[in-house]
Amino acid sequence: MTPTNFTIFSAFILSLMGLTFHRTHLLSALLCLEGIMLVLFIGLSLWALQLNASGYSTVPILMLAFSACEASAGLALLVATARTHGSDHLQNLNLLQC
Amino acid sequence: MAYLMLSFLVGMIVGVISVASNPSPYFGALGLVLMAGAGCGCLIGHGGAFLAVVLFLIYLGGMLVVFAYCAALAAEPYPEAWGDVEVFAAALFYFLLVFGGAFWFFGGGYGAGWASVEEVVAFPAIFGDPFDEVINFSVISGDAAGVGMLYSLGGGLLVLSAWVLLLTLFVVLEVTRGLARGALRAV
Repeated sequence: MTPTNFTIFSAFILSLMGLTFHRTHLLSALLCLEGIMLVLFIGLSLWALQLNASGYSTVPILMLAFSACEASAGLALLVATARTHGSDHLQNLNLLQC
Repeated sequence: MAYLMLSFLVGMIVGVISVASNPSPYFGALGLVLMAGAGCGCLIGHGGAFLAVVLFLIYLGGMLVVFAYCAALAAEPYPEAWGDVEVFAAALFYFLLVFGGAFWFFGGGYGAGWASVEEVVAFPAIFGDPFDEVINFSVISGDAAGVGMLYSLGGGLLVLSAWVLLLTLFVVLEVTRGLARGALRAV
């Protein structure tokens, strides 16, 4: 496995683990999600660059646009949580707990 | 040059470990900036300067600035950094995971399992001046031309993404609308 491939894969898995094993703040989990999107952007860009295929360069740009949508939706939920519960602690989101 | 690319990749791994170990969001955003910077360096080494500029402008200059403003919602008197034991334990675990995997894949030295950057990417930008890319005899770089295709052949996707962005604006408006509508019930 090339170092670049290994870096992209391990960065994706690490960000996913950071999102899975979240701790206190909702914003930290959203930052891990942004890390996933960044790794996907780098991976798609390197794919277009290494294959010398210019036409594939649109895919990372579109992915960035959709990731901006996702980040803004996540941040809106963060603001809603902070306004309802007073903080963005994930332990406050326990309405569905049995 | 390959060593520079390797140091950018290592910078990316260090950044992702510092985000994934879930410190206080102030420090997590710093790790994300490091990750984006190292990733941009990696892209530039492969000759994609336009995509790196777009990443810096839109991602760091747009999205992360908004995240930094929202970090005010995560304010606490003693923010946890990487010196605190829970964060340090997670960072150490991820570090061991990544470098254990690296030794597993690359532990044999320059053997059959290792393909360096110069072997995989036979690109003149790696070896010399990026302005020596005379493959296409074109004024603009390949990735910039590819993004320009979004406006010509990819016109439908452009309209779709603009529509999705407008929709997201209304989603955000409705989620944060108070007075018992949307996701807020009380305020």
